[in-house]
Amino acid sequence: MPQIPLTIISGFLGTGKTSLLTHLLTQAGPENGGRRITAMVNDFGALNIDAELIAAKHGNQISLANGCVCCSIGDDLMRSFMEVMQQTPLPDHIIIEASGVAEPSRIAGFAAVDRQLRLDSIVTLVDASAHNVHSKDPYLADNYAKQIEAAHLLLISKPDLADAATLENLEKELATQKPDVPMAQVTHGALPINLVLGLNGDHEIPQPQEIIDHGFVQWAGHLNDMPRAALIAKLEKLRPHVLRAKGVLQDGEGGYVLHLAGGLITTAPYAGEASGHFVIIGKPQMPDAAALERIFRQNEAA
Amino acid sequence: MNPHLPHATHIAVRDGHILGVGTADDIDGWQEAWGPLTLNTDFAERSLLPGFIEGHSHMMEGMFWDYHYVGYYDREGPDGTVWPGLKSIDEVVGKLKEIQAARKDKDTPLIAWGFDPIYFTDRRMNAADLDSVATNCSVIVLHASLHILNANNFVMEAADVKSSDNSEFIRRDESGQATGEFLGQLGYYMAMRTTGINLLAIASSPETLVNFANVARQTGVTTATDLVNPIPAGSEHAMREAVDAEDFPMRLVVAFQGNTMEPTEGVARMQELQASNSDKLRFSLVKMVADGSIQGFSARLKWPHYYNGAPNGLWYIEPERLGDYLKAFTEAGIQVHVHTNGDECTEVALDKIEEALRAHPWPDHRHTLQHCQMATRAHFKRMKALGVGVNLFSNHLYYWGDAHINITMGPERAARLDDAGGALAEGVPLAIHSDAPVTALAPLFTAWCAVNRLSSGGVTLGNGTQNISVKEALYAITMGAAYSLKMENEIGSLEAGKRADIAILAEDPIDVGAEGLKDISVIGTMVGGHVHLNQGREG
Repeated sequence: MPQIPLTIISGFLGTGKTSLLTHLLTQAGPENGGRRITAMVNDFGALNIDAELIAAKHGNQISLANGCVCCSIGDDLMRSFMEVMQQTPLPDHIIIEASGVAEPSRIAGFAAVDRQLRLDSIVTLVDASAHNVHSKDPYLADNYAKQIEAAHLLLISKPDLADAATLENLEKELATQKPDVPMAQVTHGALPINLVLGLNGDHEIPQPQEIIDHGFVQWAGHLNDMPRAALIAKLEKLRPHVLRAKGVLQDGEGGYVLHLAGGLITTAPYAGEASGHFVIIGKPQMPDAAALERIFRQNEAA
Repeated sequence: MNPHLPHATHIAVRDGHILGVGTADDIDGWQEAWGPLTLNTDFAERSLLPGFIEGHSHMMEGMFWDYHYVGYYDREGPDGTVWPGLKSIDEVVGKLKEIQAARKDKDTPLIAWGFDPIYFTDRRMNAADLDSVATNCSVIVLHASLHILNANNFVMEAADVKSSDNSEFIRRDESGQATGEFLGQLGYYMAMRTTGINLLAIASSPETLVNFANVARQTGVTTATDLVNPIPAGSEHAMREAVDAEDFPMRLVVAFQGNTMEPTEGVARMQELQASNSDKLRFSLVKMVADGSIQGFSARLKWPHYYNGAPNGLWYIEPERLGDYLKAFTEAGIQVHVHTNGDECTEVALDKIEEALRAHPWPDHRHTLQHCQMATRAHFKRMKALGVGVNLFSNHLYYWGDAHINITMGPERAARLDDAGGALAEGVPLAIHSDAPVTALAPLFTAWCAVNRLSSGGVTLGNGTQNISVKEALYAITMGAAYSLKMENEIGSLEAGKRADIAILAEDPIDVGAEGLKDISVIGTMVGGHVHLNQGREG
């Protein structure tokens, strides 16, 4: 039984969590591999989904034409979560838009005790225009720091509202706090779905143009008999420039799927015949294709 | 509690209400207009008090009695059975083995509640303990705090708890193995996913309501609260059917969980609910939860935070959103009770109430801070100025007083924990509560806690200025709580025209005094003129 990836979008009130979520939901169609996402949101009223995309709306649930569902967390995250896990069929991916004061690591814990779930990543948004206020908030500063601490991917929102020096200082500050975690800027929530939620599909991993359009780089290859420990060691060296990687691979122990989501690398046994596909998406600072080719070919079949 | 007539020998009841209180001669005078009254001397040797009002409890208490009680203290179930306290982990395990042996369907989940490891300092309960109870079914033990639970290996295997998941909410031993203890929502999620049982179901079934009412009734309660309920559409009808039944032995006030929906929708829902209020079932207020608990280290504290250095607690809602809700409900004239445990949270709640009142002035709003355990005199002064009441969690003094002195707050700040004396000195309307099922529901015990401020370890918290008198405590569990619910015009005292809600006690608490307050036997209650007797109670 494949595990459902769980993505937690965290960040202060007003940092652009809902914009990002809206963008992800609208991209979930077949053009990106097609995945039925169930999103649990805090502020239902703030969702701004194109009316054309909405198939049905009742109570605290919106169904989209592309198969995604959006539901309100309402009073109790656990209760809504239980409801989602009782759906048939189960969704392909679950996104939780955490409240502005939630500790994302607490929510992530659900995946640790549910054999049907896999924590894909905690994505934390940092508002470039308000970081200096949020990080000094008399009541919430510690909470803010915890959200950044828990992140596997840091997204700097509203970069257009901050001046260059502020932005540079913020990036430096975050890089010091979380040296292994990649950062990317996001304006109005517009980021490629494959970057935020990971690459979909086990056999044919798509290479969408959108990744390149957003200024990211991608390398894909076929890896034969790649020991998982060796691959993880290579990926750890490439931090923090790698945002995403996925491979459906084989080594002496058998088939495995590897997911890299920013600072989090996980592997899980793969029951089918591993295709050997491997894709890595990163920032322009990542080594170029020729260098990556060398890195990943080395001790293949070791 | 009627200031004009604090003591009397006779009381007359008609049509669910008190016709008159006074001497035999005073009562005689009513017969001319109302026809003959029958003298009932059944309780002539007893002490009649206004029915007690539990201003902060949860109907979950009624649901938990479907499971097995394994707490440290004796506790009385809805049928009057006393479940003896279990004084060691071995006793708890022994009791569970006994229960398992007696169960017909041995493969269904075995669920117990009320376990409190704070009293067992030599070791913690682990999965092996519960494996010795059963290995072929789920065994789950909920802690008294409701923040932690223990599970056996059957549960952990079903959940696929992996050694690689380094969640801080899974307790592990030195070798990295999960011990079977799970913290926070994660534990409940696992237990519910693996057993299919909704341990935190919304309590509205008739059985739960009746169980809850019986637990409360046995302690002299005639009005209790379910102080947070999302009240899903339609569930109010099921509640009404149960509570309005003539033999249902209690009035019930249900607080709507404010954050269930957006503020404007919440206001509309409350207005709809209020329109359906009856004599016995009320939907009159909104509850907002702003932080966690002190003993769970999730309360928001001001600097210097926790005594043992634990990181500051959790906000359960963004302060900004709390403010939005308070503004909307204040504008609509709907009373809000805010759960605040830590002093930082209390301060933020007061800020937000003040903002709401500046935007929508409302004399006598009676917004109330619930628990409010670490409030300072400065907070009480502000509450007085803002017209905010308080309902303090006095039972904490006994159950967790020692932990607050030694671990969470330190001796200096623990002195002001649940400072009922301070609240009264500053002129803040006061009620005190049990938060059942977190602690046992029994207003006389709660009153004893506020009067004596004695921990279970035998330590007195504070220097005496925080204590209240027996009379003040009795007022807090009757008129004080009635006032916090805006019901002081109909319940809370025994006087002509009010509802005939009476606690029948074996002895007069004023005569018994501070020390024996908690041990006074409750003979029964009268609710709206109907008498409900406790089985086998003698004075």
